[in-house]
Amino acid sequence: MSAVDITPHSPEKTSMSIRSVINNAGIGIALLLMILFFSVASEHFLSANNITNILTQITINLVLAVGMTFVILIGGIDLSVGSVMAFAAVVAGKAITLPGLGATELIILAVLAGVLAGMICGILNGVVSAYWSLPSFIITLGMLNIARGAALQISGAQTIYSFPFAFEEFGSMLIYGVPVVFLVALALVVIAWFVLNRTVFGRLIYGIGNNEEAVRLAGHPVFWYKVAAFSICGLTAGIAAIIYMARLNISSPIAGIGFELNAIAAVIIGGTSLSGGRGSVIGTLLGAFIIGVLANGLILIGLSDFVRQMITGLVIVIAVILDHYRAKYSAS
Amino acid sequence: MKLMKFAAAAATSILLSTSIAAADDKPVVGLIMKSLANEFFQNMLAGAEAHAEKRGDYELRAVGMQNETDFESQINAVENFITQGVDAIVVAPADSKAMVRPLKRAMEAGIVVINFDVALDEGAKKQQGVDLAFVGPDNRGGAKMAGDALGSALGEGAKVVIIEGNPGADNATQRRLGFEDAVAEHKLNLLDSRTAHWETEEANQVFATMLTANPDIQGVMAANDSMAIGVVKALESAGRSDIKVVGFDAIPAVLPMIEDGRLLASVDQFGQEMAANSIDLALDVLAGGPQLEGWVKTPIELVAGE
Repeated sequence: MSAVDITPHSPEKTSMSIRSVINNAGIGIALLLMILFFSVASEHFLSANNITNILTQITINLVLAVGMTFVILIGGIDLSVGSVMAFAAVVAGKAITLPGLGATELIILAVLAGVLAGMICGILNGVVSAYWSLPSFIITLGMLNIARGAALQISGAQTIYSFPFAFEEFGSMLIYGVPVVFLVALALVVIAWFVLNRTVFGRLIYGIGNNEEAVRLAGHPVFWYKVAAFSICGLTAGIAAIIYMARLNISSPIAGIGFELNAIAAVIIGGTSLSGGRGSVIGTLLGAFIIGVLANGLILIGLSDFVRQMITGLVIVIAVILDHYRAKYSAS
Repeated sequence: MKLMKFAAAAATSILLSTSIAAADDKPVVGLIMKSLANEFFQNMLAGAEAHAEKRGDYELRAVGMQNETDFESQINAVENFITQGVDAIVVAPADSKAMVRPLKRAMEAGIVVINFDVALDEGAKKQQGVDLAFVGPDNRGGAKMAGDALGSALGEGAKVVIIEGNPGADNATQRRLGFEDAVAEHKLNLLDSRTAHWETEEANQVFATMLTANPDIQGVMAANDSMAIGVVKALESAGRSDIKVVGFDAIPAVLPMIEDGRLLASVDQFGQEMAANSIDLALDVLAGGPQLEGWVKTPIELVAGE
């Protein structure tokens, strides 16, 4: 291996993961307090149906946020995920409504097409921003428009509908009250956790966010690691598109407007630093729960739309302020 | 020498183009729409283009916008059309107040202006001293038709909720008011009213939560069909087939739902023909017909199952 010690299970890593457990505990406590508050304030909050609802409702945001975690960890940002999701959904929607094929073939084709479409956008984001060392903020802002335009162009701005029944069934299937689509999201969290914590690749993702130059000097191909991070983000946008289609049984070219902001919010509330190098995908899971529980609970207790929006914004600001102190204490 | 030649060539080509225009002498109609990302305006554009081809006695120049709230590019479009010297401007304003002043300039430049789809604000028109007719559907009346269908299906005292469009958008407000008119007339019990920003996924989430808070909901009024689809999906996941839903716009995606009863009704305001009809009216005025006055209502129709 190289000069920099990045092997898993190094002592430095152990102390880092203890710290990350403490960080996550803070977010977890905040989440528990919210759950406690809403379960007292609304008799429906803890009902089995509502828990199923919340799990369904956070699924797409969680999937997008898992990919976003990789990009933010390397110190980047991906503003295009909402549009890329719509683009992937339209591509998959066109595939799944092709005439003359059986349901199984159509579903396989659509899943492949959608995931591939998302990934291609991610690869482009990564290659362009890493090759010319351009701010990913601007490059992905460009992709936000390119992907949205492509989605509208391909679909002729029409909603695509009537998908095979089996596909729809997958979107609403429950196992002991837990939506299958949520289990897919949860599996992605587990995979991402493993990749980030137990592989050299994952440690280098953190390394690039902390000190890109050091990783480069150690002889690692930083370019390809960055491309990989953006590709993963595109891939999760493609998966989110498939889940969107299965749940709603349509593909809409105007789907996912503003979803990038919710995904970024979940990552940041989850304690991942916007400047990269610090954070965890478990935090992202908790962050997505906080956003989902808030959206659900505030409707249940009957708050108006506008007050609800203000409170959601407030929570994001508070999370970043807390993160500021967390960074300060862990540095000292 | 070379420069002279070029200048001469340019002069001839200008002469040529003016003489062509003079020979053709077709009136030029500038069509300004809202977001072409919206299925409704996309269909409208297709309808207008087909209309221009079919009539063949005018030239159509159509522009859309990036999104629903991008009214600055609409103002630019009006100014560009004034510069180009078009004969008529047919416009669906993105903002019912901001568009009054640029359109006034167009009228002062002798251009026939037809305001369709969304009415310009009465107060702003009075303030600017503009007298302009409106050609368009009655969003409030249309929403009331959908609400009436729901009200007569459910009967007095039924518990209903409204899923609204973008807060502040004129058609969203009109449709909400229309639903509320139906609520009052049929003495329905309105439990909650929330926005889902015209979008399927958000409507799905918001409605699923509203249903948890109020499991005894009997009817839902959604301000467009995209949101109605989200509501229908939420009802399917909850296993509730007893709740009736109405939408608005009658987009192709909901027609199968109306057929099998998952959607009680929707409202068609014939968007495809709306721009074309407004262009017809503009051409009539250009041909020396009388000026339009007040509100020229365009047809709306309730689309319901058997």
